[in-house]
This record gives sequence, structure tokens and C-alpha cells, in this order.
Amino acid sequence: MRHLAGRVVFNLFAWTVVLVLTFPLVWMILTSIKPQFELFRIPPAFWPEEVTFEHYRRLIDETPFLKYMRNSLLLGFATTFVVVIVATLGAHSLVRFRYPGRERLAQLVLFTYLLPSVVLILPLYLMMVRVGLANSILSLVVAYTTFALPYALWLLRSFMQGIPDDLEAAALVDGATRLEAFIDVILPQALPGIISTALFTFILAWNEYLFALVLVNTDEARPLTTGVMNMLVSAFNIEWSLLMAAAVMMSAPLIVIFAFLQNYLTRGFGAGGLKG
Amino acid sequence: MADVRFDQVRKAFGQAVAVKSLSLSVASGEFVSLLGPSGCGKTTTLRMLAGLEFPTSGEIRIGSTVVNDMPPGQRDIAMVFQSYALYPHMTVAENIAYPLKKRRVPRAEREAKVREAAATLQLQALLDRKPRQLSGGQQQRVALGRALVRDPKVFLLDEPLSNLDAKLRAHMRAELIELHRRLGKTFIYVTHDQLEAMTMSDRIAVMHEGELQQFGAPKEVYERPANLFVAGFIGSPAMNLIPGELRPLGSGLGFAGAGLNLPLASGGTAGEALTLGVRPEDVTLGDGPFSGTVRVVEPTGHETIVMVASGDVTLVCRARPDVPLTVGAAVPFALRTSRLHAFNAVTGHRLPVTFAP
Repeated sequence: MRHLAGRVVFNLFAWTVVLVLTFPLVWMILTSIKPQFELFRIPPAFWPEEVTFEHYRRLIDETPFLKYMRNSLLLGFATTFVVVIVATLGAHSLVRFRYPGRERLAQLVLFTYLLPSVVLILPLYLMMVRVGLANSILSLVVAYTTFALPYALWLLRSFMQGIPDDLEAAALVDGATRLEAFIDVILPQALPGIISTALFTFILAWNEYLFALVLVNTDEARPLTTGVMNMLVSAFNIEWSLLMAAAVMMSAPLIVIFAFLQNYLTRGFGAGGLKG
Repeated sequence: MADVRFDQVRKAFGQAVAVKSLSLSVASGEFVSLLGPSGCGKTTTLRMLAGLEFPTSGEIRIGSTVVNDMPPGQRDIAMVFQSYALYPHMTVAENIAYPLKKRRVPRAEREAKVREAAATLQLQALLDRKPRQLSGGQQQRVALGRALVRDPKVFLLDEPLSNLDAKLRAHMRAELIELHRRLGKTFIYVTHDQLEAMTMSDRIAVMHEGELQQFGAPKEVYERPANLFVAGFIGSPAMNLIPGELRPLGSGLGFAGAGLNLPLASGGTAGEALTLGVRPEDVTLGDGPFSGTVRVVEPTGHETIVMVASGDVTLVCRARPDVPLTVGAAVPFALRTSRLHAFNAVTGHRLPVTFAP
């Protein structure tokens, strides 16, 4: 009996938390499909009287929203690709190869997190200008790689430390080259870690605002974060309906990815927390 | 078929020396065990032969080829790991086929060979399973299958039985002996278990602190241990080691220590510090020139292990179960003088000393 009561209380609590957390999301979706005149009604109505997709149509037809979306996707995938490749190979090196200063190097990787990113913005911007990358998607790929890489290396290192040495040794004895052993044996074992690294990097690239604001100021290279703010939020007016429609479309890819890969993500963070 | 030769091989990890100047020749088709306590360098030796570690100096040959700098995959060896090291994401069939795949063996031939290996090891029913769905013994078989599918020149086995329970271990020991007999290949087997080494090997290389202590047939290692380490390591219960010295006795020399006086037949010099080695089965209780006190009696059924105090040492003896023994009582005993061992107490080397009957 006490057991049952405990479960009821626990469930009530959990659902309350879920409601509180999802309310802004639901409100965002509802606002995006309400006609403009319903928005500021007092008292506010929860359900729209009339459902409209006008804001979505306007965003897609009349603004550079799709261009920003394309930039953000390109930016997200390119950063993820670079970070995953470099971090997997780097973590493998930090775990398996013997060279002087290996442990120190692994610690230094985390040291890079001690620098607040604000401090890095101007030097990075100047360097980008110097090498002729300013105002391009590539400059953001490089910048995001520098923040995502230390964490990715650390996460994958913990993951790979959990893979027994003998597996790679067995593959070598069985006739694989080092690279083949890495691809055939290490990568499949590290897959959960690689997926969580990829997710982490993609989310970081998708949500980043500050560097995008400073390093890029042309619509050709602007990602969604700064693009949407730039076009819908001005000193005099905020286009709430359009902003909410844009926010829905920006969140959708992340929600879909999370729904599919949630298992891997929690496993990855678990491994990161366990060791290191 | 290939012989294996280590020639003055040394391996250091920074300051730590794992193997000090090892020279060892293994004949083609021989079953050789590297035996020693953990940290003695036996696994490092095996890994150097596999190409997973590289010697600091010296030369390793397989057949007529120097393999010092050859990557593991080109050495034509197969290895079974203590952890089995099965690829967790592959099925049993894929695990066994992997070495063939890496050698570009055509698919049809590969499948035939996997079936053949599976039949040898009774794995046919398990080919589609993943390693985690198998018991320890089955995983062990898959690891063996992956080794023998390729028909390598040399088999390397690194403590392959130590993760199995006692009953299964005895069973796998017999299977390995049979497998070696059938394949006729060179087997090099690393173990810390003297029973495994004694029962399976043609010859045993006893190692300690990176050095080869003795290399010989199991019988030889047991009956003529080359030094104190081998004497104490091989045999269970361990050999009794009694400190003493050589003194003039009658017209010649005699060993004196622990209340024992044993006249020598040959060898030795007066005043030399000497350690006498006596196997537990070479003490006969119930009759003899010496006397001791029974301290502990441990009947095991087919024999009784008895601790007898004599002077300031305690001798471990094996007695037949029908010898009546009372704890605390005095018991006369004799030593089988033809089977005693003598070692220099300082260097530990075996001495060419024989005792008078």
C-alpha cells in the first residue's frame, strides 16, 4: 500500500516537472499557428480560435529563412564531420600509442576549456581576416571545431579506454594493418561514443550565437541563430509570430535527432562521467 | 612448420627491464610452455614473438626469417589471448573468418574453412551467435577456432585456460594436447600454472624476473631443478629447502643443518654454505635414523600431507594414508638420499653433490 502511494506521488511529481518544462515548447507551437491579432488578446487564450500557417508561408516565401537553414545545416554537418574524424583518431592516439608527454597532452586538452570563449573572439576574428576566411561558413566551422574538439577528445578517450587492448592486438595478429584494426574493431566498439560526440558537436554548432554574430555579417554565410534574430528582432519591433514559427522549425531537427539517438547520448555521457 | 629462436633478446620499458637477454630455441612442432610467476617476463616474451612488442635488442627468428621488425600480420602466427579477445560485434562465424578475410581468401573457401574449424571444435550450432551469448568455455573454443582456421606456422597461447573453472580447465587441457598432436604445429604456451605446464609441454622454460632459469622436459625440471628458484617454484607442495653447511664428518664431508647429519658420497668443500632440497615424497615417515615431531596432519584421501618439525625447520612430507600419525607425537623418518638436491646457498645454483646411501 505504501509502495503504491509512493509511486503515485513520484508520478505526480514527474509529470509536474514535464508540464513545466514542456509549457514553453507548447506555447511556442501554439503562438506560431495563431493569427497575429490573437496574440496580445487579454485575457490570453490558450487554444487558437483559428489555426493558420500563414507565418510559416511568409518565412519561407518572403524571407531568407531557407538560406539560413541551409547555412546552419551545412555548418552543423561540416563541423560534426571534422570534429568526429579528428577526435576519433586523436583519442585513439592518446589511448593506444606510447610517446613521451602523452598524459600531459591529454590534460592540456582540458586546459583549453579554462579560457572563456569571449576572450577568444577578437583574436580569432583577426586571424580569420588575416587568412582570408572572414565572413564565410568555413570560418565558423574552424571556430566551432576549436571548442568542440577538447570535449570530444576527452569523451572519446574515456570511451576508448574501455575497449580492451587485446581486441586490437588480436586484429593485428589476424593480419589487419593498424588502420584496418582501427576501422574493423575499434570503431564499432566506440560507436556509441562517436554518436554522442557527433550529437554534442552538431547541437553546439546549431545553437551557437556569439561567434556567428561576430565572425559573419553577410546573409550568404549567416546561420539560423543570428539570421533569425537579425531579420525579426529590431530595436522597435519583434515579429513574435514569425519568430515562433522560425523557432519551431529550428527546434524540429534537434527534437527528431534526440528522439532517435537518445539512448546513445545518455550512454556516451555516462561513459564520460565514469572515467577520465 | 617452423622452429622459433630467441637470441639474446632484451626488452626494457623505460627503466624497467622486462626481459634480460633471453636465448631460447623451440624446435618445429614442439609444445613449449613459458612458466613463471606474474611479472617474470613470459607474456612480454610471447608478445615480442607475436610482434605486439618490439625487442630493445637481440634477434627473434621464426623459421629462417628474422622477424624483429615484421608486423604481426605477416609473421604467420596465431594467438589466443587470456581474455579471448573475440570481436564483440561479429558473430562466431565472422570472428573465425576474420583472419582469412584479412588475407583475401575468397568467400567460398573462407566459408568451407570456417565450417571445418567449427566442426573440429564442435561450434557448428553456435556460428550465428554473438560472443556475449556464449559461455566461457564456448568463447575459448571460438578463440581457438580463430587461431587454427588459418593454419599458421606457430600457435601462441597466453594463459588461455585461466578464466575457466577448474573442471572445464582440466577438460580443455586434454583437448589442447589432442589438438597439438593432431596439428603437429609449434605451440608456445604462457602460463603461471605448473600443472598446465607439466601436463601439456614437451619442454618447459621456467622464467623469473626476466631471466630464463631452466629449459627442459617436465621430468627434468622436476627431478633436476637448476637452481633454488626452480626448485621452490615447481612441485606442490613445494620442495623443502633446508639451510645448512658442509662440515667434516667421519672420514669425509657431511651436510649439517636442522638437526640433520647427512654424509656426502662425492663433491662439495668443507665450510660451504649449502641449501638442501627435499621433495615431500622423498621423506619416509615411520622408520629411519632421524626424529621429528608431528605438527599438522592433512589427509587428502589418497595421501596425507604431514608437517614434521625437525630442529628449527618444518618439513612438509607426503605419507601413505595408512601410516598412523598423532599430532604432537615424535616420529622417526628417513630421507631418500639418492633423490636429494643440493644448492649453493649464495648463488642458488645446483651443486654436483651426491649423498651416501
